[in-house]
Amino acid sequence: MIQLWHLINANLRKEYIELKRYYPNTITMIVQFYFIFLAMLLGIHVVGDPQQIDTNVQYVIVNYVIWFFMLTIMQDLGYVILFEAQRGTLEQLFMSPLGMWRILLARIIANLVIYGVIVSVLLVLSMATAGEWLVFRIDVVLPIFLISILGMLGIGFMLAGLAIIFKQIQSVLNVLQFILMGLAFVPLSVAPYLIFAPLVKGIDMVRHVMIHGYTWLDFSFWDYSALILNSAFYLVLGVVIYLKSEKVAMEKGLLSQY
Amino acid sequence: MEKIIQVKDLSKTYKKKKTKEIVKAVDSVSFDVYRGEILGLLGPNGAGKTTTIKSICGLLVPNGGSVHINGYDSNKQRLKALNYISAVLEGNRNIYWRLTVRENLEYFAGNRGVNRRHIQDKIDELLAFFDLKKKETELVSSLSRGMQQKLAIAVALLADTDVLLLDEPTLGLDVETSYEVRDLLKKIVEQQGKTIIISSHDMPVVQDVCDRTVIINGGKVVADEKVEDLIKLFDTRAYSFTIEGQLSEKQTRLIQNHFPIFDVQDNQVQITVEKENDLYTMMDILKSDQTKIEKIDRTTVDFEQVFMQLIQKEGQDDPAVASH
Ligand SMILES: Nc1ncnc2c1ncn2[C@@H]1O[C@H](COP(=O)(O)OP(=O)(O)O)[C@@H](O)[C@H]1O
Ligand SMILES: [Mg+2]
Repeated sequence: MIQLWHLINANLRKEYIELKRYYPNTITMIVQFYFIFLAMLLGIHVVGDPQQIDTNVQYVIVNYVIWFFMLTIMQDLGYVILFEAQRGTLEQLFMSPLGMWRILLARIIANLVIYGVIVSVLLVLSMATAGEWLVFRIDVVLPIFLISILGMLGIGFMLAGLAIIFKQIQSVLNVLQFILMGLAFVPLSVAPYLIFAPLVKGIDMVRHVMIHGYTWLDFSFWDYSALILNSAFYLVLGVVIYLKSEKVAMEKGLLSQY
Repeated sequence: MEKIIQVKDLSKTYKKKKTKEIVKAVDSVSFDVYRGEILGLLGPNGAGKTTTIKSICGLLVPNGGSVHINGYDSNKQRLKALNYISAVLEGNRNIYWRLTVRENLEYFAGNRGVNRRHIQDKIDELLAFFDLKKKETELVSSLSRGMQQKLAIAVALLADTDVLLLDEPTLGLDVETSYEVRDLLKKIVEQQGKTIIISSHDMPVVQDVCDRTVIINGGKVVADEKVEDLIKLFDTRAYSFTIEGQLSEKQTRLIQNHFPIFDVQDNQVQITVEKENDLYTMMDILKSDQTKIEKIDRTTVDFEQVFMQLIQKEGQDDPAVASH
């Protein structure tokens, strides 16, 4: 347990060092976020009836933030594998007695912490600039978000597994963001079977909180069960597929190839 | 002595991507490694050294056989086994080029679950030992190949495992740095009592650094001996003939066919015999063209000749490397 802490710590430091060292990229990212948030917030004034638009804009912003984090979680592990394979350090990571999956976990936690801080700060900053404050039940949204994350983490591991075996997976990772965007913006009421897809149930619940003012008690037992089961299913499936992929790669001698 | 690594009937085949041809990279290889020794895994390119090393590291799942490290199966109990080994793999990509020297040391230790603050002294020690102290805040990408290699070894040492595996540690280094690395490795064994496996296709490295050598060729073990014994064994069989004049072409061909290892310099012909009879065969060959023998001496062979001879035995029908 304490080892896991030091592992996360080391990876947090590494990510932080690289963000700092290659700061032009980092600054571009920060500026991008700031202006996207600002544009969305100012949209409240520009587009018609503030009473009505307000909730929609708030929802769009929250949805955008969720979509961004989900995308990060989904793609990041695959990219970690690809980059490490290209740099040739992948095999050294596989030499850790803590196991590669824990290193991947540490990397994603590190990134979530870093991006979490960046996005929160910029969100507050852009709200202050626009003079427009988001008001929503973050106490309800955040737990739903965190449970949804676990399902996406499963997808992330799945893609990381595929990346170990098929090193040409980059284009797949890119295409997936559009699929994910689709999932994030289609309401369940339109396509009920999407409840079996990852992420959709969570987003749908967030939508109810944001637009229809749902709180804890407005959701049924089934809503929570579906959310948790969906996430648990994808998490377990993802990790199993990842571990299986590791074995296949070691059987075929693919760790050193890219 | 305690066996710390047991390689038993290890086999590994690859399927070539394009041709779908099956390559037997390692074929039923067995050897043991004892605690505190420094073992050389010697063989020409493509012999299966890297495959063997990676199987020990659990980076490859073997098709047959097993590797045990401190009793743990490196495949079935991979993570447990990894507690006892660290490795510097082939090439110069064991470390992050975008991090500094010290950051690399800290990062890889952290990846094994070590507290960064607890290892600062140890890091300073290693930096001093490898003469990298002045470079500690420099990016790895700006270091020379030799310094990168020393850092990679330092990173592996920081893990403080019982066994250290080094795949071709002097490959691509200039002569001077190669000697420096060799000396450092010898010191590490002396001072820290580590068990080290070094793979190399470079005989002097193994002869200089290792206690014992396992020679592999074509995926098979062809010798497993103490380095000094191996040389002694072959020493007693090496003869130098001083002749009058030169060998005829026919004689050269005959000698080449009969003696895998031979060396001609002016009127000196050196051969290594395997059976007592071989000596007479040599005399017959010389007599066939009435070549006069002035002197026959026992001589010493160098490790390279031993190596060539062992490898020759495997591929008898390939005379291309018979002389040097
Ligand atoms: N990933 C791989 N895919 C296919 N063939 C491989 C792979 N790795 C090694 N080989 C083949 O296996 C044999 C042994 O290779 P290797 O273990 O790298 O030898 P060495 O390290 O002694 O040079 C060689 O013939 C090599 O071409
Ligand atoms: Mg090799």
